[in-house]
Amino acid sequence: MKDTITSTFVLLLTLTLVAAFAASNVSPEIIVTTVVALAFIKFWLVAFQFMELKKAHPFWKYLIIGFGGLMGLILMILL
Amino acid sequence: MNNTKSIYYPPGGVLIWIIIYLELITFGMAILALAYYGSEERELFHNSSLKLNKTIGTINTILLLTSGFFVAKGIHFFKASNIKKTLSYFNWAMIGGFGFLVLKSIEYYEKLEAGLHMDYNSFFRFYWLLTGFHFIHVLVGLVILLVITFSIRKKQTEASFEDIEASASFWHMCDLIWLLLFPVIYLLF
Repeated sequence: MKDTITSTFVLLLTLTLVAAFAASNVSPEIIVTTVVALAFIKFWLVAFQFMELKKAHPFWKYLIIGFGGLMGLILMILL
Repeated sequence: MNNTKSIYYPPGGVLIWIIIYLELITFGMAILALAYYGSEERELFHNSSLKLNKTIGTINTILLLTSGFFVAKGIHFFKASNIKKTLSYFNWAMIGGFGFLVLKSIEYYEKLEAGLHMDYNSFFRFYWLLTGFHFIHVLVGLVILLVITFSIRKKQTEASFEDIEASASFWHMCDLIWLLLFPVIYLLF
């Protein structure tokens, strides 16, 4: 449990720095997909690990994944 | 502690999760509106986005995530009945949140000094409205954390585990909203 929180935090920091780096260095064709995918992973990590949604009823898990996935999909279509 | 596997008892309680989803949907719709207008006026949004400081945005993301990490650790130690460590982590979480607000205020000051106010263009209208509402949420989250920390410190029985977990969930919700705001406002245009 303790290690999961810490490793999640390290992963979140890494993904944040990767997203900031990618936004300036990745080719424009894949920048939206890359940044949105990284944001979705971070969103999922915070919800499931920090907010402990991993222990919740599947209804709450699917709802948050559905929301994050739908947001990411629409953003990719629009941008 | 309630059985969190039950549909009626997600971690923190069902009421906080209803609030969280309502907030996410509200911010989500505004973010999609920003993306829609951005797709209509790509050049304007791109040039406006260049006026933002990505470094400040990234540091603010790290501050909020660090603060969320401290809250998660605090909850972990509260479950283990280690009140001293819980309080210590909650205090660090509040310092992280306060740091976010200070840095955001500096950014706001710079934008106002440069004349980039809400009426400057449609990008900055979205920027001020979305980050402004988020700023208020972080401020409210800080007050909630402060109250709950005092409650734990005084060993008041009114603050149940669910109250503390709900407060933590509200704080993490600020993280979730920022994780959607940060890429769209700072990185994607």
